[in-house]
Amino acid sequence: MTTDVDVLIIGAGASGAALAWSLAETRMRILCLEQGDWVNPADYPSTRRDWEVRMDREFSPNPNVRRRPEDYPINDDDSPISVVNFNGVGGSTILYAAHFPRPHPSDFRVRSLDGVADDWPINYASLEPFYALNDRQMGVAGLAGDPACPPHEPPLPPVPLGLAGETMARGFNALGWHWWPSDTAIATQEYEGRAACVNLGPCKAGCAQGAKGSADITYWPVARRAGVQLRTRCRVREILVDDNDMATGVVYYDERGVEHLQRAEVVVLACNGVGTPRLLLNSRSARFPDGLANRSGLVGKNLMIHPWGMVRGAFDAPLDSHRGPLSCCILSQQFYETDRSRGFVRGYNMQITRGLGPVATARMGVARGDIPWGEGHHEAFARRFGRSIGVGICCEDLPEECNMVTLDPTLTDSNGIPAPKITYRLSENTERMLRHGLERGTEVMKAAGAWDAYGEGPVRQTGWHLLGTARMGEDPERSVVNGWGRSHDVKNLFIVDGSVFVTSGGVNPTPTIQAVALYIADAMKQRLANLFD
Amino acid sequence: MTTDRVDIADSGQPLTSGQRATLDIVLNMIVPPSADGRMPGAAEVGVPAYLFAEAPDALPVVCRELEELDRRSRERFARGFAELEEHERKSLIEEMRAREPSFMSRLSMETLACYYQHDRVLEGLGMEARPPYPKGYQVVQGDLSLLEPVRARGKIYRDAP
Repeated sequence: MTTDVDVLIIGAGASGAALAWSLAETRMRILCLEQGDWVNPADYPSTRRDWEVRMDREFSPNPNVRRRPEDYPINDDDSPISVVNFNGVGGSTILYAAHFPRPHPSDFRVRSLDGVADDWPINYASLEPFYALNDRQMGVAGLAGDPACPPHEPPLPPVPLGLAGETMARGFNALGWHWWPSDTAIATQEYEGRAACVNLGPCKAGCAQGAKGSADITYWPVARRAGVQLRTRCRVREILVDDNDMATGVVYYDERGVEHLQRAEVVVLACNGVGTPRLLLNSRSARFPDGLANRSGLVGKNLMIHPWGMVRGAFDAPLDSHRGPLSCCILSQQFYETDRSRGFVRGYNMQITRGLGPVATARMGVARGDIPWGEGHHEAFARRFGRSIGVGICCEDLPEECNMVTLDPTLTDSNGIPAPKITYRLSENTERMLRHGLERGTEVMKAAGAWDAYGEGPVRQTGWHLLGTARMGEDPERSVVNGWGRSHDVKNLFIVDGSVFVTSGGVNPTPTIQAVALYIADAMKQRLANLFD
Repeated sequence: MTTDRVDIADSGQPLTSGQRATLDIVLNMIVPPSADGRMPGAAEVGVPAYLFAEAPDALPVVCRELEELDRRSRERFARGFAELEEHERKSLIEEMRAREPSFMSRLSMETLACYYQHDRVLEGLGMEARPPYPKGYQVVQGDLSLLEPVRARGKIYRDAP
C-alpha cells in the first residue's frame, strides 16, 4: 500500500500538467501517475543524421508502429483515421506541432447559432483568462490583431514566415482571403529558461532545442518544484469506488508489472479522448456495470477527431521550404465560420505547413509517381525539394454517438488491460466540408503560383485531436461531467482532458484542452470546502 | 543466379553474389548517377549495408524479388538479369511493376531513405551533411506588411454570448 494522497492525477500530458501546476498552490498532497517515461531531448531524432527515418519508427506518432513498452495498442480497423499520440511526461505535446490557435466564441454556441449539436455549458469569455494564462505558461508566439479571433496578446513574436509563408500570403491576398501568422507554442526568443527556436524543422519528432512548449518542460518543472509528485511508468488498470459512489483510489502496475493500490480523496482523469474512456470502461463494478461514471451511457461516445485534408503544391522558385518549424507558419480562417451557401455547417482552419525533408520528399514523390525511377529522377526531385508547401485542412466534425471508443474484446496492452477500439466514420456534413477545403486549398496554391497542386483526405495518420468522449453538460442524462469537469455520477472524480469537449471547433485543440484544465482547477480551488456537494 | 555466398561490407550478413550483382544494377535503375557527376548512383551509397543494419525485415522480400527478377529474365530472354541490355532490364522491371505495383516498392523506399541521408548526396544538393540540431537553420522573417489588406477588411468572427 502506498501513502494516501489528496489528489491523484492520471496522465502527465497537456491537461494533467496544467491542472497539477494550478493545484500545487493549495499545498494538497498531489500525485500524478504516468504510464510513460521522461523523454531525454538528446534522444530526439533531430540530433541525428537519420532524423527522417527515426521520425517514422521509434518516434512515430502511431502507437501501433512505435510499440514502446509504455504504449498501448489501438484497434483502428473501423476508422479511416488512425489515432496518434505519445505516452510519456508531456503526453502528445512531445510530438505535437505546437500549432496553437484559439477557437472562436461561436465554437461554444453551436446549437444556438447553427442549430446543430449542443452548446457548451461554458463559453469563450469564461475561458479567456485561462487561455491567456496558458499562453504565458507554454510560451506562445504570435502576432496580436488577428481579425479572425478575439483580441489577445501572445507573449512572444511570431515564427518566421519564410519564403514559403510569404508566397502563400500573396496567394491569400490575391484571392482576398484571410491569413495571419499562426499562434505557436514555440519560443521565438529565450523564454523562462528555454532556448530560442533555431528552425530545426521536425517539431513533430520532439524539440531537441527545448524551444517547443511541451508540457514536460513548461508546466512540470514548476509543478514539481511546488511539491507535486510525479511517478512514471505507472499504468492504471482501474479506478475503485465505494458503496457511496465515491472513488477511493486506483489499481496500477509499475514498470516491473507489480500491482499497487493507490488511495486518493480526489481522482482526476487526464488521459486524452481515447485513454480516458478506455480507463472508465475498464473500471466496471457492481455499482457501475457499464463502466465508471457511465450512467448516461455516453462514455466513449461522440468521438470527434478532426478529419484532415492536405493539399501540397510545388513552385518554380526555391523557397527553402524544408527549413523552419514544419507545421507552424501561417493560417487562414476564411472558411471557419458557418456559411450555409457552401453546403455544410461549421467550418475549417487552413494551416500552412512547410516542405518536407529530402527523404520524405523523395519517398512521397516516387510513391505518387511524381518523381520517377531512373532517367529524370534528379530533375524531378529538384523541382520539388525546398520548393513545396502544404495546406492542412482541419475540419470540425460534429458529435455523433456512432463515432466511439469501446474496449476491444481481445486486444490488450502488455499488462493485459483491454485496449481501445475506435469506430469512426465521416458524416456527410464533414465530407462536404473536407471536399470544400481541398478545393479551396488547391485554389490558393494556384493563386500563390504553384505549378502543381493536389489534395487528399482524410489523411490517415492524423488522429491527434481526440475529443468528446466524456462530454460536459448540465444534464446528467446527456453528459458525463458537469460544467466544471466533475462526474455527475462520482462526486470526487474529475475529467480535464479533451474528452469533455461538447463540440470540437475547427482548430488544434491543445490551447483549449489546457484552458479547460486550468478553468476546472480554478473551479476546484474555489470550492475546496464543499467540492463534493 | 549463383548460390555462393559473400559478406556484405559492414554487415557480416550473407547475400549471394548473384543477388548482389542484380541488386547493384537495380539500385542504379532507381537512382542513377547524374550526368554531371554531382549526384552518385544509389549503388554507390551503401544500400546493402543499410538494409542489413536499418531494415532487416525488408531483406526476405528484397531477396525474393531479386530472385524473381532473375527467374523472369531467364524465362523471357534466356539470360540472367545482370546479362541483359539496359533497355531489356528497363522493360522487364516496368512489366513486372505494371503487373504487381508493389513489386520492389519496399526496396525502392529503403533505397531512397539510405540515399537521401548520404553525405555525398546531401552535399550534391548543396546542403551540409549534418543533423538539424544543434546548429539549426536561418529562415527569413518575411514581410508582415502583407497583412495590410487582411487588417483593412476587419473582423470576420462571430460574437456569441
